[in-house]
Amino acid sequence: MLKFIAKRLGISLAILVLGSLLLYVLVINSGDPLEDLRESNDPNRENRIRQRIENMGLNQPWYERYWDWLTGASKCLVGQCDLGTAVNGQSVNALVATAAASTLRLVVIASLAAIVIGVALGIITAIRQYSGFDYGVTLMAFMFFSLPVFWLGVLLKHYAAIEFNNWIVDAEFSWAVILGIAAVLAIVLQAAMGGDLKRRGITAGAMFGGVVAILFYFDMVTWFRHPALGIPVYILSVIGVAVLVIVMTSGFHNHRVRNAVAATAVVAIIGYVATRGFLMQGGSILLLLLLLVVAIGVAVAAGQLLGGFSRRQATFASIITSVLASLLAMADLLLSNWSQYLSEQPRPIPTIGSATPNYESTFWMMTIDALTHLVLPTVALMLISVASYTRYTRASMLDVLNQDYIRTARSKGISERKVITRHALRNSLIPLATIVAFDFAGLIGGAVITETVFGWQGMGNLFRTGLAAVDPAPVMAFYLVTGTAAVIMNMLADIAYAILDPRIAR
Amino acid sequence: MKLQGTKASLGLALSGVLLLAACTSPEATDSSAAGDASATATESMSEEMAGDAGSTCLQDVGITETQDGEVRYTAGPVDWSGYNSITADTYSTYNSVIAAHMFGSFVYFGTDGTICDNTEFGTYEVLSEDPLTVRYTIADDAAWSDGTPVTINDYLMDWAAQNPEFVAPGYASGEDPEASPVFNHVSTSLAQYVLEGPEGELGSKEFTITYTDPNPDYKINVTTALPEHVIAEQSGLEPGALAQAVLDRDADTVTSAADFWNEGWIFNPGELPDSSLMPSSGPYMVKEGGWQAGNSLTLTANDSYWGTPAGTRDLVFRFIDEAQQVQALGNSDVQVIQPQATVDTVGQLEALGSAVSMESGSSLTWEHLDFNHRENNVFGDPETGLTLREAFAYCVPRQQIVDTLIAPMAPDTVVMNAREVFPFQTEKYEEVTSASYDGRYDQVDIDMATQLVEESGVATPIEVRIGYGAGNQRRAETVAAIQASCGDAGFDVIDSSSDTFFSEELGNGDYEIALFAWAGSGQITSGENIYGTNKGQNFGAYSNETVDEAWATLVATLDEDVHLEQTKIIEKELWDTLFGIPLYAHPSIVAFDSTLSNVRATATQDQVSWNAPQWVAE
Repeated sequence: MLKFIAKRLGISLAILVLGSLLLYVLVINSGDPLEDLRESNDPNRENRIRQRIENMGLNQPWYERYWDWLTGASKCLVGQCDLGTAVNGQSVNALVATAAASTLRLVVIASLAAIVIGVALGIITAIRQYSGFDYGVTLMAFMFFSLPVFWLGVLLKHYAAIEFNNWIVDAEFSWAVILGIAAVLAIVLQAAMGGDLKRRGITAGAMFGGVVAILFYFDMVTWFRHPALGIPVYILSVIGVAVLVIVMTSGFHNHRVRNAVAATAVVAIIGYVATRGFLMQGGSILLLLLLLVVAIGVAVAAGQLLGGFSRRQATFASIITSVLASLLAMADLLLSNWSQYLSEQPRPIPTIGSATPNYESTFWMMTIDALTHLVLPTVALMLISVASYTRYTRASMLDVLNQDYIRTARSKGISERKVITRHALRNSLIPLATIVAFDFAGLIGGAVITETVFGWQGMGNLFRTGLAAVDPAPVMAFYLVTGTAAVIMNMLADIAYAILDPRIAR
Repeated sequence: MKLQGTKASLGLALSGVLLLAACTSPEATDSSAAGDASATATESMSEEMAGDAGSTCLQDVGITETQDGEVRYTAGPVDWSGYNSITADTYSTYNSVIAAHMFGSFVYFGTDGTICDNTEFGTYEVLSEDPLTVRYTIADDAAWSDGTPVTINDYLMDWAAQNPEFVAPGYASGEDPEASPVFNHVSTSLAQYVLEGPEGELGSKEFTITYTDPNPDYKINVTTALPEHVIAEQSGLEPGALAQAVLDRDADTVTSAADFWNEGWIFNPGELPDSSLMPSSGPYMVKEGGWQAGNSLTLTANDSYWGTPAGTRDLVFRFIDEAQQVQALGNSDVQVIQPQATVDTVGQLEALGSAVSMESGSSLTWEHLDFNHRENNVFGDPETGLTLREAFAYCVPRQQIVDTLIAPMAPDTVVMNAREVFPFQTEKYEEVTSASYDGRYDQVDIDMATQLVEESGVATPIEVRIGYGAGNQRRAETVAAIQASCGDAGFDVIDSSSDTFFSEELGNGDYEIALFAWAGSGQITSGENIYGTNKGQNFGAYSNETVDEAWATLVATLDEDVHLEQTKIIEKELWDTLFGIPLYAHPSIVAFDSTLSNVRATATQDQVSWNAPQWVAE
């Protein structure tokens, strides 16, 4: 295995170096770096041309320029990168660092959400193959996949930012809106749940009534200006999460898993009730991470102590419960601070940028501010990648469901839930590992158009502006980061594949 | 001056997709916004810009103290790159609009390009015309925000940073092509024309500048300066020591400041140094912690500014792509924008209703058709060239081009009949055009054109390649209009746009007619480089003795009457010999939150933020 990895690394390094040579030559020949100055009638023109030739080394032959870059970049191997200076005099090291940070902030949530939603939709559509829901999701997937992101961005900005901000001033629903939303949700849910006509009717009716009631309530109390889950709803939600986790993992009859998850949920509820007041005062990322670690620790302990023979499964289920409970707590804290945020920022959803300039407030306000800036680009990115995850998962799941061992499992009389969660789902996720790894490698390259539309100056922007100025330094830095990420992720995918699917390792 | 053509086309080529966004968005906004919105308040800025020259400068709007709050503006998508915006690397419109409010200057440009005096900062007077000697007096209370007075020291350093002879021998004069600069300064003009530098005593508020040659543009040669005391301290010297070294011509000491001057003020994204490193001599200074990389830069009022204070406490510059600016304004993310003037932008802005005011007008950038005067070219032929040029001028539908392509966004735009003055510089324009142009090419006259083509005896159809930078829709439509009109007169007009037009075809003379734009900078003498025989910007190889002489007379005096007289001569000769055909001044659009007062568009490259210190919210 080690020899295999070393060999792969060596080959990858050679490819990276060759690729860098190719890209460098392509970039410096992609245009005229003096173009803007050539056409200038500035009295400084001659001087500016001389200065730029000097600063960019344009009078050196290409191999010397490349060598200069390569020697600087190769110092990365000893941790002392020197990626040169951009045409505007800034250090590329610093530019890449900021750009990468910005891109990561932008794409991480979007990709995680896309994976979760995409995989879930993929599985449901595979189980309900050729149902109305399946067709509906397929249609939406193709539609979103082919939506041009700049257009989607413009739509989102108009409806989800400008119009939403106008609406949030009063936060009132008209009856038409309430009934419309309820009807749509009712139709979607009954399609996803499936069953015979009677069952579908009950599902749709219950959903419709529930949504109408909730929206009416929200409207009456202008909930969208003063939202909160509050302790009672939090408790109910955590119980709901625990039940869901148990159903999805072992089922209720495995009392070891059930007890572990229940214990975790109880501890989570008690813990949150105890710390909520304190957390509302303020917080920090460190504190929240610490609490998350504690929550996971509790979950592991519960799983190990109560799990018995099902120790592994119990621990796993407990961790899931505990993470979800933590997220719910986080959501409750953010929602409880929303009305305060609205009073400080009357138009909460911005169309552009990564932060409100000069906004100084409490930790929760700042977190909400960061999230409101993330929400539109995240939705735009997510809608598009959800489509591909849905399709991949569906295909892979269908493939697995038609395998012999699934038929065998069914014929043994195992419940359909177990067949799907224990036998089909896991195996269908194996091919996804490769796709996810590739996607993550691509992510660091940024989303050029989304970044531009939403005013985020990330990696894609670095590449674009560098290329526009025929400035090799930022473009090569972009290549170095994305290329390395691709190589590493590719290798991780191979290794993960070998672990997930022992047949490959043999 | 700058050719805006390629910049625009470059932008188009690179972000074609994004421009598409601008085309499609009305679909998204129209349906809902048009219904409840009344028409956007629209005013024309041409009226405002008419009248005497004085009114185009800053006007007193009665600001006596800074009010709390912020105004948000975006100049474009490019991040700030540092305090020193006059290095060859950092010099850009984006940095300049920010620097404009942090550094006091003797002069600034008014809305029509007039050079206005900033007497709060200091005054200047011409002591002698031969040699040209100008005495500058900095206001007594003019001081950097850290308390250090603004003095000759700063200007001595600025001169030295332009690599004069004693710092970089042979560089500024161009005598030694191998010489390399010590300072990465964007300009060499002072070092080139003022050999002795600012003359005066160390620490004095007064200095004189002596030019080797007459220089009508002397006013814009001495403007702002960087703080010498900061450069000195950061280079391990006492404040004033650098200025003294410049006076002593101590090259070693001066050179030791180059590292800091070149790189010390270029910061890593979002990392501001201690504010003592960035003092301000203008109404605004960089706000502490006010830079969020790629997102915004905030300037805050300079409380120790001695002149008229800034109207609003914080001035925020957001970095937003052109195509995204209208929606950002609609959502109040920014309050003032100057987006690309397109019909779509105007439509989107109108849909925003009365909450947003819009001004449309002209900029100092102007579009023109230039003939190729090389002898081997059909328009440059010594025998028949002029006749053909006239024939072509008769068939170019200038009015139609303006009406269809420009008027929809800037209704007041007129066909431009001059090159050195603009229609919105009303008085001067009237005077110059009435003396130089009789209006014969105002209307398309195909008969006349056909007749002239026959007269020339050149076999038709005559192939005319109109070259321009690829990817510019408006130019493509201009060429199409000319194609349709001139085809009847015997010209076979070919659209020969090219990606490499400016770097190759234009310089090589590989075209019959070049279609591009010049951006005026308020300089008086810059035209010599375009119309003078064998000058650097004279791409069409035009040569005319009368024009050369007139330029020689013009650049040798400071007398504005002589300037006007010679401009008339030049314009008349350029019309008579048809150097080219001017078309129109580019439209410009400014839109702002209607609650802001004193937002005033300008035709110059300073952008609408030129008077940002006067912006106040009601």
